[in-house]
Amino acid sequence: MRTLVKKLLFLDLLKGLIITFKTIFTHPVTIRYPKEKRKPEPGFRGRHAFVRNPDTGKERCVACTKCAQVCPSQCIYIDYSINSETGARVLTKYEIDAFRCIFCGYCEQVCPVNAIVLTEFYEYASYNRQSNYFDREVLLKNWDEFVKQYNRNEYLNKFWYLPGVDRNILPAGKRNPEPILCYLDKQSHIESQHLSQLNSLSVQDNSKKEPH
Amino acid sequence: MGQLEIEKLNETTFVLQMGPHHPATHGVLKLYCEFEGERVLRIIPDVGYLHRGVEKLAESKTYPVAMTITDRLDYISSMTNNIGYCIAIERLMGIEPTRRAKFIRTMVAELTRLSSHLLWLATHALDIGAMTVFLYAFREREQILTFFEKICGARLTVSYPRIGGVRVDVEQAVLDEIYGFTDTMLKKIDDYEELLTENRIWIARTKGIGIISAEEALSLGLTGPVLRGSGVYYDIRKLEPYDAYGEVNFEVPLGENGDTYDRYLCRIQEMRQSVFIIKQCIEKMPEGQVISEQSPQIDMPFQGKREILADGSLWNGFVSFTDKKNEIMPKGEFYSAIEAPKGELGFYIVSDGSGRPYRMRVRAPSFIHISAIPKLCEGHLLADVITIIGTLDIVMGEADR
Repeated sequence: MRTLVKKLLFLDLLKGLIITFKTIFTHPVTIRYPKEKRKPEPGFRGRHAFVRNPDTGKERCVACTKCAQVCPSQCIYIDYSINSETGARVLTKYEIDAFRCIFCGYCEQVCPVNAIVLTEFYEYASYNRQSNYFDREVLLKNWDEFVKQYNRNEYLNKFWYLPGVDRNILPAGKRNPEPILCYLDKQSHIESQHLSQLNSLSVQDNSKKEPH
Repeated sequence: MGQLEIEKLNETTFVLQMGPHHPATHGVLKLYCEFEGERVLRIIPDVGYLHRGVEKLAESKTYPVAMTITDRLDYISSMTNNIGYCIAIERLMGIEPTRRAKFIRTMVAELTRLSSHLLWLATHALDIGAMTVFLYAFREREQILTFFEKICGARLTVSYPRIGGVRVDVEQAVLDEIYGFTDTMLKKIDDYEELLTENRIWIARTKGIGIISAEEALSLGLTGPVLRGSGVYYDIRKLEPYDAYGEVNFEVPLGENGDTYDRYLCRIQEMRQSVFIIKQCIEKMPEGQVISEQSPQIDMPFQGKREILADGSLWNGFVSFTDKKNEIMPKGEFYSAIEAPKGELGFYIVSDGSGRPYRMRVRAPSFIHISAIPKLCEGHLLADVITIIGTLDIVMGEADR
């Protein structure tokens, strides 16, 4: 009897319709993509880059070829020569074929000096095939581009220091990596520099004025 | 199939080649259907359109590197694929993951189960004609994928577990967020149930469709919610607990009639149980390391060093290398299975002592479930074929490999 009443009154359908009606008053969860961009979470595995060493202005890579060995899709090509004086390896060629890459992040985990990194930059689709073959200069340029749009002052990828992993089983470069300073609120950084310059100038001015 | 079969047809039968590019076949599945009127006479599934040679490819990779390939098997629940593979190799090597890693793995596996069942509910309901559930289910699935992004940096192809643990630790803030999500998730599951469970259209389309008895289901090799919908108590999480499943409390929902409606109820209840498991995991989460010390490095060599025998020298000053190499992995072959969202996911691994698997065979639940389509579709209408494909929850990436 009860089921008959329910059926006659369309209660089962009404229950569902109430939920859809309630949803009218909630906010939409979608975003209007090209205008409004989704912010990737820290540690997102996006476009590759070479970390620019702040001291030398060059890449950190030491050409150990570990990343090329471990890469599951074999998309990394490395060539190096040996410096006859010091015996150190000098990187001559480093290429990544981003079409083949599967973004597993093994390369950044295995890198002993934290040179290669998968940045949080994800909009690099293009009409040009050549632009997705990254060589050394392009990888460094990728890093600059990423740093420019990064909105924190320090960058430390969590796959560099691997939280929760015993420090003793990690290579030396991974045990305590230092964050890279980005100065991403560049405006304030420039302003502070400007202020310090002004201060020094004013001090100089005062010192010049004093003898008169 | 093909020419010969078509010639033998009666005048009353009608042949329809459904797929491989059909939105309701959930991938590149092709069905050769013969109808009499609108009733199904017989159906022959045709698979292999998404074959990528995953098993052969794994033979050329070392054990840690081959794990990235398993992401691409069942691409909507890649976390459980990885965990199944890692557990197989752990059992081969005889290492035990750390306690915290076990709980993290259990938590992410259940999140994956939630996300996989949500996608199943969304597409299954969409096939039958309930558009709203599709959008609601994707709303919650998006949140789960965001958690994966926070945990490991990728949304679908995660590559998060490692042999002997997991890759990185999960931050406490993320754990708190997931804990908050579980409460809302329970309410959302109630919403889906209110939309569907008593809905007369849903009942008309699912009750009595694709009935399979317990004996038939067992003989066809069905596993997972499809088998449990027929009332067979078979869940590897309970029968052979791996990771932290032995330490959490949960129930295994069982169906009675073995039809599409019971399988739907089973999966909905399973989602609730998953939420409870996630809650318990976060509450009981121990402190400590996330990867075992004995776990192999991801850049492990693919073969051991050659042995140099002192008595193998030809004469003084020469040392000959024997062909024998040091073994870096234990030899042997074995089978290990876990409970993936779709059923029993097994890895059969043959090891010859080198760093690469000699053979890796994947027992994928979707492949075996496809073989049940002809049996389930007997005597049903064309529209019910779509329902039956949906209720089996097949993913062609896993079936064709």
